[in-house]
Amino acid sequence: MSTTDLTQTPIHADGSFEVHLQKSGQTLQVGKEQSILNALQDAGHDVPFSCSQGVCGTCLTQVIAGTPDHWDMYLTPEEQEANNQMLICCSRSQTARLVLDL
Amino acid sequence: MFIKNTWYVACTASELEALGDKPLGRTICNEKMAFFKGPDGQVAAVEDFCPHRGAPLSLGKVCKGHLQCGYHGLEMGVDGKTVQMPGQRVRGFPAIKSYAVVERYGFVWVWPGDPSKADVAKMPVFEFFDNPAWAYGGGLYHVKADYRLMIDNLMDLTHETYVHANSIGQPEIDETPCETKVEGDQVILQRHMQGIQAPPFWQMAMSANGLDPQAKVDRWQICRFTPPSHIMIDVGVALAGQGGFDAAPEHKAYSVVVDFITPETETSHWYHWGMARQFKPEDAALTDKIRAGQGGIFNEDMEMLQLQQANISQWPDRKLLMLNIDSGGVQSRRIIDRLLAQENSSEITA
Repeated sequence: MSTTDLTQTPIHADGSFEVHLQKSGQTLQVGKEQSILNALQDAGHDVPFSCSQGVCGTCLTQVIAGTPDHWDMYLTPEEQEANNQMLICCSRSQTARLVLDL
Repeated sequence: MFIKNTWYVACTASELEALGDKPLGRTICNEKMAFFKGPDGQVAAVEDFCPHRGAPLSLGKVCKGHLQCGYHGLEMGVDGKTVQMPGQRVRGFPAIKSYAVVERYGFVWVWPGDPSKADVAKMPVFEFFDNPAWAYGGGLYHVKADYRLMIDNLMDLTHETYVHANSIGQPEIDETPCETKVEGDQVILQRHMQGIQAPPFWQMAMSANGLDPQAKVDRWQICRFTPPSHIMIDVGVALAGQGGFDAAPEHKAYSVVVDFITPETETSHWYHWGMARQFKPEDAALTDKIRAGQGGIFNEDMEMLQLQQANISQWPDRKLLMLNIDSGGVQSRRIIDRLLAQENSSEITA
């Protein structure tokens, strides 16, 4: 078993990454063509969302570990730089693993 | 298809003023627009479409220069960007279209095309607006007919005898041939009648100018079309033999029939009509009287055009005749078609 901390490792070359849900303990794979929101929905998680384009802020989620790749237009540049919250409908990951407060 | 990179009259300044804190919703060249006064009091126009749920912004109201949507309170700025909305962060909201707008001569003018190409220097210039030597009165009709049918109508001086038999028609109109010429982007259609009795309207104008209303006159009608769809008609009488249109001011009475024709859809338009006159400019009662008379005359045209459009819409494939009396409209449409082709080819290469 590898001891590498994936939340400190750059994202895979194919654009995929994994999301660990801190509260449920579940880990999901997010493919290149998939959003975190879609991966959660496919796994049966009903999470709040609305616009699906990074505008409304409904899907705002706390980030516990890993570094998000922000694509939204809701957070201010300062909030994005803090990397402790993200919009899971459109933003992705810079690291191979994200740990979310879900 | 309409020429879009050009100035059209959208409304009168007073029409917008009369709405108070309500915006004016108006479709121009198939574009739905909402007109309102921005924070600096300047008139602005944006797409009549709330970026939130697509509600018409024109159903809302104006708050401190912002257009507040009547559905959920989104506040739109003059540049088409959302300013604020209760409980929302708006920075990611997509912008809607905004239009170049200028208030001039008592009208609000809009450029329905690319705002970056809007050029105030391309606005038409008129000597009779904002000029104390002239008076202006007019009105607005919404006409359910292709705007080009109105151009045909105004660039044709023969229909008067039949459509306006009881007002401005007189037998000499039918007896005197018209001449049509094209000068660049302008079409000029004219008729000059020599040594006739002035009709009632012009007898009144002659009296107002200190001329004998019973004297024989030379009468003229000179229609000038300029793109996209403005038609100014010089009309007047001069004492016979004094040079007609070119006679010295003391020998004549004249005015300009003003027509700003703004397409709404393919089969409807906004028709701003009026008359600028140089006799008795201070007489407001006369302005009202002329407006009422002109409104009645143009209502006769409107009835004809709307039923003409209904016929054409029912039989869209029927070819219409273009006779010698229609050459003013034919030449005007030719200029419109040429400018349309130019505008569309430059869009493709741009």
